[in-house]
Amino acid sequence: MTAVNTTDSAVPARGSSPAPRRAVKGGARRRQGSALDRALPYLLLAPAVIAILWLIGWPVLSVVITSFRKLNLKELTRGEVVWTGLDNYTLILSEPTFWTIALRTVLFTAAVVFVSVGAGLAIALLMRQVSPVVRVVLQVAMLLAWAMPLLAATTVYQWIFDQQYGILNKTLVKIGLSGFEGYSWFTSGVSTMSVIGLLIVWQAIPFLAFSLYAGVIGIPRDQYEAAGIDGASAWQTFRAVTWPELRPLLLMVTFLSLLWDFKVFTQIWAFKKGGPDGGSTTLPVLQYLEGLAKSHFGVAAAVSVLMVALLALLTFQYLRRLIRQEGDL
Amino acid sequence: MKGWKGLAVGATAVAVAVAGCGSGSTDTSSSSKAGEPRTLTVWLMDGSAPTSLTDALNKEFEGAHAGVTVKYEIQKWNGIQDKLTTALASNNPPDVIELGNTQTAKFASEETLLDLSGDVSSLNGDQWLSGLKDSLTWDGKQYAMPFYAANRTVLYRTDLFQAAGITAAPTSRDEWLAAIEKLKAANASDPEFQALYLPGQSWYSLLSFIWDEGGDVAKSQGSAWTGSLNTAEAKAGLEFYKKLAEAGSKAPKDTDEATPQQAEVYGKGKVAMFIGLPWEVGTAAKADPTLKDKTGAFAIPSKTAGKTAPVFLGGSNVAIPQGSKNQDLAKEYLKLLSSKKYQDLLAEGGSVPGTSKDTAKLATTPVGKALAASAPNGKVTPTTPAWAAVESGQNPLKDMLTAYLTGAKSIDQATGDANAALSKTLGG
Repeated sequence: MTAVNTTDSAVPARGSSPAPRRAVKGGARRRQGSALDRALPYLLLAPAVIAILWLIGWPVLSVVITSFRKLNLKELTRGEVVWTGLDNYTLILSEPTFWTIALRTVLFTAAVVFVSVGAGLAIALLMRQVSPVVRVVLQVAMLLAWAMPLLAATTVYQWIFDQQYGILNKTLVKIGLSGFEGYSWFTSGVSTMSVIGLLIVWQAIPFLAFSLYAGVIGIPRDQYEAAGIDGASAWQTFRAVTWPELRPLLLMVTFLSLLWDFKVFTQIWAFKKGGPDGGSTTLPVLQYLEGLAKSHFGVAAAVSVLMVALLALLTFQYLRRLIRQEGDL
Repeated sequence: MKGWKGLAVGATAVAVAVAGCGSGSTDTSSSSKAGEPRTLTVWLMDGSAPTSLTDALNKEFEGAHAGVTVKYEIQKWNGIQDKLTTALASNNPPDVIELGNTQTAKFASEETLLDLSGDVSSLNGDQWLSGLKDSLTWDGKQYAMPFYAANRTVLYRTDLFQAAGITAAPTSRDEWLAAIEKLKAANASDPEFQALYLPGQSWYSLLSFIWDEGGDVAKSQGSAWTGSLNTAEAKAGLEFYKKLAEAGSKAPKDTDEATPQQAEVYGKGKVAMFIGLPWEVGTAAKADPTLKDKTGAFAIPSKTAGKTAPVFLGGSNVAIPQGSKNQDLAKEYLKLLSSKKYQDLLAEGGSVPGTSKDTAKLATTPVGKALAASAPNGKVTPTTPAWAAVESGQNPLKDMLTAYLTGAKSIDQATGDANAALSKTLGG
């Protein structure tokens, strides 16, 4: 009781001064706290940001810096720094074959992306129609294709298309096309690129089909029912229902495919090292030839910078759309 | 400087966008005080030295140097240039490396190898194999010691030769072609039989035919090289290659001797001859052990009867990277390797020894005899740092062969295109 009394009397007795002081104190503490609160997310993010800058930003910066240096094996092992300004760029850009290679890379990427996204979409739509058993079989088959290591798949394709021992030529001859007896698929750049393109499409389809199938099953059934009631044909249903619903996803997987296919190296190099006569040389192959085969690391870095510039140019529209969307959020 | 090096290594890794093979060595035995435990990292190539040699060598070396451990690592030829580039650029390269003789000039000119000019006499300099000497020097200095050489010979099935009624090994091109016809006639019932397995891109074999005609791949004017594949001699060599391939081979025209491994094709028993290296008999014998006794060898015949064609003297050099932290030990290691004892073991293993003129141990097998017979007529590819890019990049000689053999290009067009590409690579 006394305690209560004391407290009761104490509050009015100490008057108004402690309360405002406390309030001021509290307010100040809260403002301090909110500054910390505001800084805290950044502090928590800092290690990740620093790690990302170190892991991604620094090498990118290094590549740009390296592209202005003369850096062959000699300079590299002795730690010499020789600046050459734009020499590496003029060297590459004055090379007539560079433009052929750049154009070939763009055309090859476009063809592979178009075919693989198209085929992936077709399979995704097909999976919605077929019976569950067939669907599972299809999915397992694609999963196996997806799980196959790059080089193993490349070796299998080399073997299929082998001039003398390949199963393709043997099969074609068996079904009566005797012209394919000993036919070589790798005597021209176009033919070599087609075989490599086929391999890359084959490897890309599982991911595309699965992603797009996820999009397809997300489209509400009642929209199809409504289309059915309106008497829409299959093609009209696709255009009016499926296409608009899938478009954002399609855009994204197309963009991803573009990035992947533009920088494909392993399969192309393993097949014919960019041959015959440089007929299947793309920008990543050129980069390898300059960088490792000739040990001209500065020139190779310049090729990388040009590649990134070209890629940015190709994906300009997508990036713009992406940034605008992010802005809306 | 260290920082820049790190930057450059990082930049390279990204610029090339290929997972480089790390050098893997993490030991930091940087002090060179005697008695302290030290590790000598030695890289030799797969198939180079028999284990009888390396086991004894490493044991003797460790015994003679207290506290020293030899870390002996075997590398694969496939992709070795990339691996060496990465290793030599690192802070901790191996101490002793084996290099192909066509690659040495490149690494020497980049100043990544230790100058051995002062050590020649202690490394048996007067006994060095002359055919490899050019590949050891750059700018008047010695950057490597010859290790061994081997050249291609025609490996053949003695039993099939006998069955076809061929009594003596061919000693001229005409006899060689005649032997192919006899073998084909004797095995006409087997559609898979090949008298001679010759893949379309076996360009080391092509070198022999071009040299035999008196031609060459490139000519030098001072330090500048220009291709000479469009000469009449080179064309004649290419023509003969086609003639030979059409006469006896069903091999693919668009692959080289490594894909598939020609020794493995031979090992399946449907091939009577192939142009190969001594140790390929061993590879073939893995599939069929009886092949070891059934395989003979003769030198690649010349168009002049009774002579042998010049052969590419493939071989290896050993060198010490400039960045090695145990250069004194590495030199000691080379000294021991160049001694007669180990060179004899090398010859017994079937290679022409690099630092000993004594090849008596080599001539004990038929393959070794053929090797010893043709080795004096050996030649090497142009000694220029740019040659390494010809082999590791897009080899114009291979493109030329495939284009001509498949009929995609005429002989003038094929040789002209290849010559332009070769001149460009050698020029820059």
